Amino acid sequence: MKRHTITRRALLAAPLGSLALTRCSFLTGRSTLPRVSIVPVPAYTQDLYGVVRRLLVDHRVDVRGKRVVLKPNLVEFDPGTTINTHPTLVHAALEAFRSMGAAEVRIAEGPGHRRVTLDLAEAAGYFETIPHFEDSFTDLNLDEVSQVLLENPFSRLNTIYFPNTALSADLIVSMPKMKTHHWVGATLSMKNFFGLAPGSVYGWPKNVLHWAGLEECIADFHSAFPRHFALVDGIVGMEGNGPIQGNPKKAGVLVAGKDMVAVDATCCRIMKINPQAIRYLRLASGPGRLDEATIHQIGESIKSVQTSFDLPPQFQSIRL
Amino acid sequence: MEINSIISLQTRDGGWPYQKGGGSWTEPTALALLVQLAAKRNEENFERGLVWLRAAQRQDGGWPPSPSVAQSTWVTAMAMLLPREILGRAPYARGLDWLMGQTGQESTFLYKLRNELLGNTTGVAEARSGWPFFPGAAGWVTPTAISILALEKARRYRPDAEIQKRIETGREFLLDRICRDGGWNYGRSNVLGVDADSYPETTGQALLALSNVTSLKLKRALVVAEEHARRCQSISGLSWLLLGLRAHGITVSGPARRFPCRNLVDSELSLLAQAAIEGHNVFLT
Repeated sequence: MKRHTITRRALLAAPLGSLALTRCSFLTGRSTLPRVSIVPVPAYTQDLYGVVRRLLVDHRVDVRGKRVVLKPNLVEFDPGTTINTHPTLVHAALEAFRSMGAAEVRIAEGPGHRRVTLDLAEAAGYFETIPHFEDSFTDLNLDEVSQVLLENPFSRLNTIYFPNTALSADLIVSMPKMKTHHWVGATLSMKNFFGLAPGSVYGWPKNVLHWAGLEECIADFHSAFPRHFALVDGIVGMEGNGPIQGNPKKAGVLVAGKDMVAVDATCCRIMKINPQAIRYLRLASGPGRLDEATIHQIGESIKSVQTSFDLPPQFQSIRL
Repeated sequence: MEINSIISLQTRDGGWPYQKGGGSWTEPTALALLVQLAAKRNEENFERGLVWLRAAQRQDGGWPPSPSVAQSTWVTAMAMLLPREILGRAPYARGLDWLMGQTGQESTFLYKLRNELLGNTTGVAEARSGWPFFPGAAGWVTPTAISILALEKARRYRPDAEIQKRIETGREFLLDRICRDGGWNYGRSNVLGVDADSYPETTGQALLALSNVTSLKLKRALVVAEEHARRCQSISGLSWLLLGLRAHGITVSGPARRFPCRNLVDSELSLLAQAAIEGHNVFLT
């Protein structure tokens, strides 16, 4: 059994070669403030391919020779809603990272409550949109796993099992749908990492994480995978009783950046949600890191794309 | 997929993987053995699988999902679907003790006391004890259904009032969680005031576990299961539905489209459903 050690902030290097968890050395940006891009995108068209490529160039994401894992949000079959990350966006990212010299780009997901991952992907249009999808995809719920030790965890978990595909990635790209969430207020790039917990170990749903502290686990997962990039599908998101039973909400944006806390805080502002009211963001951020002034916004201003997402009744107080 | 294809995916250590090229896991191994009981078995492959399964059992009596996981989980119930004479008396008895000791966290005394002290009255079915996927978590439909099936078999060897009681409370748990549409979601039928939709796989599993139960609630559930079978979009969902419906004497043809088997469990369930239609439901016999 492999075991890996992760500290919450210092991010100790693990001793196991490719599984080492180090600060993102290949992410070469030097700005003192985290940079977050807001790009207006009205629809899921062919334009996305160029937009995503430009975003990655803007953020100086260097993936030459690296193993990249794209982590979309695949949840449900229902094609009539906007539960899942749109396949065109995932394909655009796949093409962009390949063209930028990545050694390998895989799409990987471990849905939280349905076991039939590939059937979900087919129903969501992934097979149709992404050529040879099955060859590029890993079902994280059925992947081989390793145990990771969490040092100073926020949650009640001391250890957690993660799929080897995720642990061995040089970069994990969180590609969530911009959605409200009935348990934590909003589900964005950080919460999307729950799909990295293997169902083969924790079940469907991964209910252990709820009992260990849902928001705390989100913060732990964020720490466990420091080599990340966020690309949020806010072209059409979900409002109301998300993450499954809400209604489509057109926001018309992609939001991206190397700092998931900053990206999610920005998404919250776009959705007219107070990021300070999202507990997992407070846990994962340092003092002041959620302030708008501490995030370097690129592209459109928040104000120009801001649109009020309907909130679940129990989360009315998080309105910005 | 033919049974020979399943047998061919046996790993060198004797177990079966979820996916070709993967390591051995308890769930596909237990199902591969059940498939061989339902159809035909190659004695050597079967024995090697059994040796792997026995060796994977943990000190506490439960089974881990795979040897790389240091925790017994719900897959113990999957292993316990094998007959005692095949699994072995001692492993079987230890597994049974482990299974009997598991309950959803929400039905524990401490949790109920905490809710009482906090004045939280929104909990559902705390008195009806189900089984969790992972110890320390809440009870869910799938592990509860599989555990009931395992205990039903165990009762034949040990006609014990405690086992009977757990089966009954497990069934009450399932009956309590029927969705408004008549089938089963993976968990509660209503979350935060919103009705949950039922799913094919969990509806089939629950019907299987309620095979000899008489309840008016099941009439609607059977209709819903047939509807699910007609518009189901996965082979595993369809297989569970066929198994569940067959347990109630109903055979349906399913959707016109044949769905691909995406992994070994899909293939195994498909063969087990076929065997049930032909009169040999290994979940019940």
